[in-house]
Amino acid sequence: MTTLHLVTDSSSEPRVTLAHGNGGRHMRALIEDVFARHLSNPLLDIQADAVTLPDHHDGELVFTSDGVTVQPLFFPGGDIGSLAVHGSVNDLAVSGATPRYLSINSFLEEGLPLTHLERIVTSLAQAARDCGVQVVTGDTKVLPHGQGGGLYFGVSAIGVKPRGLRLGCTRIQAGDAILVSGPVGDHGIAVMLAREQFGIRGEVRSDSASVVPLTQSLLDIPGLRFMRDPTRGGLATVLCEIHRATGLGITVKESHIPIRPAVQSVCDMLGYDPLYLACEGRVVAVIDAAQADEALARWRVLPGGAEAQRFGRIDGNVDRVLLVNDWGGERVLQELEDDPLPRIC
Amino acid sequence: VPHLVEQRHNHATARMNNTTAQNAAQAEAIGAYRWILSGRVQGVGFRPFVYRLATQLGLTGTVSNRGGCVVIEAQGSVESLAQFETALLREAPAIATPTILDCAPISLNESLCERGFVIEISTNAESSAPHVTPDYPVCEQCLAEMHDSGNRRYRYPFITCTQCGPRYTLIERLPYDRPNTGMAEFSLCPQCSTEYSDPGDRRFHAQPIACPHCGPQLQFVGRGHAPLIGNEASLAAAVDALAQGRIVAVKGIGGYHLMVDATNTTAIERLRQRKHRPHKPFAVMFPWQGTDGCDAVREHAELSAVEKDALTSAERPVVLITHRKPQTLPICLAPGLKQLGALLPYSPLHHLLLDALDRPLVATSANLSGEPVIIDNAVAEQRLADVADAFLHHDRPILRPEDDGVVRHIARRARPLRLGRGSAPLEMTLPFHLTHPVLTLGGQQKNTLCLAWKNRIVISPHLGDLHQHRAQKNFEHHARALPSLYGVEPSLLIADAHPDYHTTRWAKAINNPTPRRMPGSSGLNSLDSGIHRDDEQAIDVHFVHHHHAHASALCGEHSRFEHDTLVFTWDGTGLGPDGSLWGGEALFGRPGQWRRVASFRPFPLLGGDRAIREPWRMAAALCWETRNDWQPLSVPKEIYSLLHQAWQRKLNSPPCTAIGRLFDAAAALLGLVDVATYDAQAPMLLENIAEGEGRAVPLPHAVDEAGVLRCDWQPLLRHLLDERQNVEQRVADFHRTLAQTLLVQAEYARDKTGVRTIGLSGGVFQNRRLTETVVDELTQAGFEVLMHERIPCNDAGLSYGQLMHCLPLLQKSERQ
Repeated sequence: MTTLHLVTDSSSEPRVTLAHGNGGRHMRALIEDVFARHLSNPLLDIQADAVTLPDHHDGELVFTSDGVTVQPLFFPGGDIGSLAVHGSVNDLAVSGATPRYLSINSFLEEGLPLTHLERIVTSLAQAARDCGVQVVTGDTKVLPHGQGGGLYFGVSAIGVKPRGLRLGCTRIQAGDAILVSGPVGDHGIAVMLAREQFGIRGEVRSDSASVVPLTQSLLDIPGLRFMRDPTRGGLATVLCEIHRATGLGITVKESHIPIRPAVQSVCDMLGYDPLYLACEGRVVAVIDAAQADEALARWRVLPGGAEAQRFGRIDGNVDRVLLVNDWGGERVLQELEDDPLPRIC
Repeated sequence: VPHLVEQRHNHATARMNNTTAQNAAQAEAIGAYRWILSGRVQGVGFRPFVYRLATQLGLTGTVSNRGGCVVIEAQGSVESLAQFETALLREAPAIATPTILDCAPISLNESLCERGFVIEISTNAESSAPHVTPDYPVCEQCLAEMHDSGNRRYRYPFITCTQCGPRYTLIERLPYDRPNTGMAEFSLCPQCSTEYSDPGDRRFHAQPIACPHCGPQLQFVGRGHAPLIGNEASLAAAVDALAQGRIVAVKGIGGYHLMVDATNTTAIERLRQRKHRPHKPFAVMFPWQGTDGCDAVREHAELSAVEKDALTSAERPVVLITHRKPQTLPICLAPGLKQLGALLPYSPLHHLLLDALDRPLVATSANLSGEPVIIDNAVAEQRLADVADAFLHHDRPILRPEDDGVVRHIARRARPLRLGRGSAPLEMTLPFHLTHPVLTLGGQQKNTLCLAWKNRIVISPHLGDLHQHRAQKNFEHHARALPSLYGVEPSLLIADAHPDYHTTRWAKAINNPTPRRMPGSSGLNSLDSGIHRDDEQAIDVHFVHHHHAHASALCGEHSRFEHDTLVFTWDGTGLGPDGSLWGGEALFGRPGQWRRVASFRPFPLLGGDRAIREPWRMAAALCWETRNDWQPLSVPKEIYSLLHQAWQRKLNSPPCTAIGRLFDAAAALLGLVDVATYDAQAPMLLENIAEGEGRAVPLPHAVDEAGVLRCDWQPLLRHLLDERQNVEQRVADFHRTLAQTLLVQAEYARDKTGVRTIGLSGGVFQNRRLTETVVDELTQAGFEVLMHERIPCNDAGLSYGQLMHCLPLLQKSERQ
């Protein structure tokens, strides 16, 4: 004879169950109570299978897609909800586009406390409002317990870009300056400290934010060549990508790269290189050297741009990505063989 | 190999009862023979030597260079021919290493008698001998001429002959003829030209020959002065600057040295500050004094016979010697160490400088930390602008950079720690012929390259640590330049299995070139600097694990391919086949097939590479792993506690079994060093501080689930923390315990496998105290001990070891 022990949560907190994903009443209730309530806007129709978007005669459509996972779901400076918005909005922003619409697919793990879900969706909605984007469609699935890290998002985003604006690696030329809008590595360290529950978590906050104001502020500078948000793999990986795509060398002044002392000291301690850690609210821009100061000046008066720096240049005389220290020592930044902080993005 | 002398000896034995008259008749009989000699016989004055010898003995015939060999045809009395052959090997020029490849009788030739003995000048095609000679120190005869006020090369800093001077560093391409060397720009004056073409002259075909009229000149560049040109004026200015405690970058044979008065503490400290090199020992060049040249060294150091021989050998390496007690030279030359790297002058310029100053000089490779030695005048002034006060240049180009070699007296021999000027390129022979040339790429630190083709092996000089960009470029340059110097195109590259070594990345990039995304872009692709050959012919890449290469290098050096050996590969860290970081492994087998039979209890490297630079992390890791309480004074509490949390969560803490890291931990636990400023600082400090025989702490050994006997270091850690004994005693105990552990593991392997031959390889065996204790204990226990003799035991031996590890496989594929 077997006794079945029903596992009950001591706090009897409402949680996501498999029933929330079965297409029935529970699911409808969840979508209405949590998603629709926070995300409501004129285009979002939770009954419809597809959304019709208005015409956009003012520019070209730009479309991007992103999968969002992070552990823990909440971390200093943000959570997976705000991260989902910022990640895809920033991908559009660095291409020169103004983000307009989001699609959110939620993969909920059975057992996720509904209060957590609500906090996340609230945060997502707030981030979307701040960025001026509307969540116009979405879907919800529930994964059995143990098959998801609490919650994943699949996000697609559409933006509108001025006609004729061409940014990209092909425009990069030797001599161009390279700028970064703020300190690097904050997000990577903040999430890692939160995930590992280090005692010092309060000191470093994720930089998770929209970079739309930063990218928009440079669009009318004719010498702007290329922008990228240094997420997974960090600043170093962006530089390696530029090098690979253009075949041009890059020289970077180590002391000109903004890094917060707290981030640097945690990295020193744990043996991580902040140049390879993810940012979620920074922009790297390659720009004609003659217009670099103008770009920096514009960034520095914007929120999130106060610590912008010009830190490197496209260098026709070298054939790799070189990091030069104050004594003239030179180190090569390589593409990562292995992820130093796996699963952070 | 047939030898005339042996043949003749056999005949003589057979003719035991012959009369004296018959013997005399025999001796007067005329014969003719052809010898083919190989080895280092070109560019070393061998043909003029043969010419003089043959002429002396009244022989007629010819000598010529053919391929890599020297071919001699000689006729005359059988007695003279026999004397000739003996003298060919015995009296050969000091820097030649001839071996007789073949000896055969030939028919007599009347016309030869009329011409006497002739040096046949080889055509280029014939003389394309792919032998490259290392650089040699100025010879006694040149030195005597330089000191002779009546000689036309009196005080000439570039005096040289066939027996001395730069070779490898001066050669742009082969054959070794003047137009192919750095001397191409200097045309010979009539007097030099006469010497160059006179077969009886010591300078016959001496490619770097020069004199004050036609040769290179010194140039002195000081701060705030117009450059001085001319030998005497420049030399005087440099001597003056050095005497005043200034730092002078002096262009030498394989690169620039930074020189400073080694008796002037303030000046040395200034150099340390400017080089950002707080502790790493500086090499010191002593004046050549006394009959054996070593008097000045002996004034400051205890010198063993082995060390003396090494100091004055043709390699003129840096030799580790022991300070006198009490120490007479400044502590800051090598803080915390009883030993000092000493070398004697090897170029004529060094002799002139040191003679004038009559005191030892720091002679450290001129570079920025971690970069290759500087060889170019303009680069020197640019890169060393903040380091050197003045520059003593010359206008003879250095074509191949080369640091000074380093040796240390360990277990009865001077053993190489670094291959460099004088000892490299190091040539060895393969037991069979390769059809496909192989280039092996070594490791990430103390890098060397090894090229193998036909039955030849050439090991490059020290290329340094490949962390910095310029060092990486230098490596890539040499990986192309070395094969091209010998006219060889490698079709197989062998690299370390560690994916992040620069050598490994480079090999992969050569093997699998990434297509350019922007064809026609003006930028350089990183592959352009490689061996890449337009995808026509694929270059294969093999990977060898670090410690397999160490073990194979040792067996290769001792030609042990057919028998099993137990090799202790103890070093810093290298990637093992199980994905963990090895460095305390006893490997059983032979090149190509190694099995780990013994190791140590693993411990975490807290913070990856950081742990290697900061020994206190190793100490902390060992303590936390064994619930011991310890905290270094220099590390703030918050940092310590953060690292503790990282350890609990196993963040960036790869497991490791390296003995080098146990040394780090011990040095930190005993308060010797928390953060290292140079490679192997902690073990060097430990070795220096040990006093007395030491007593072994018994350590438990147990076989793990994979069948590996693992030693648990925990009792040793507890002993190190036991403050009832003084530090010196505990350090001695530490060494003795490791030696004892090695013996226990060796005896375990003997019980299991019957193995009686034990090898020692890996950087840990640069430690003289440990190594000599180990050798004693193993010998007493009835083992035969193999150690490195020509190849460094550290990572400089990896390139050769990678080749040796693959040799059985290569031989098999050759047979098929």
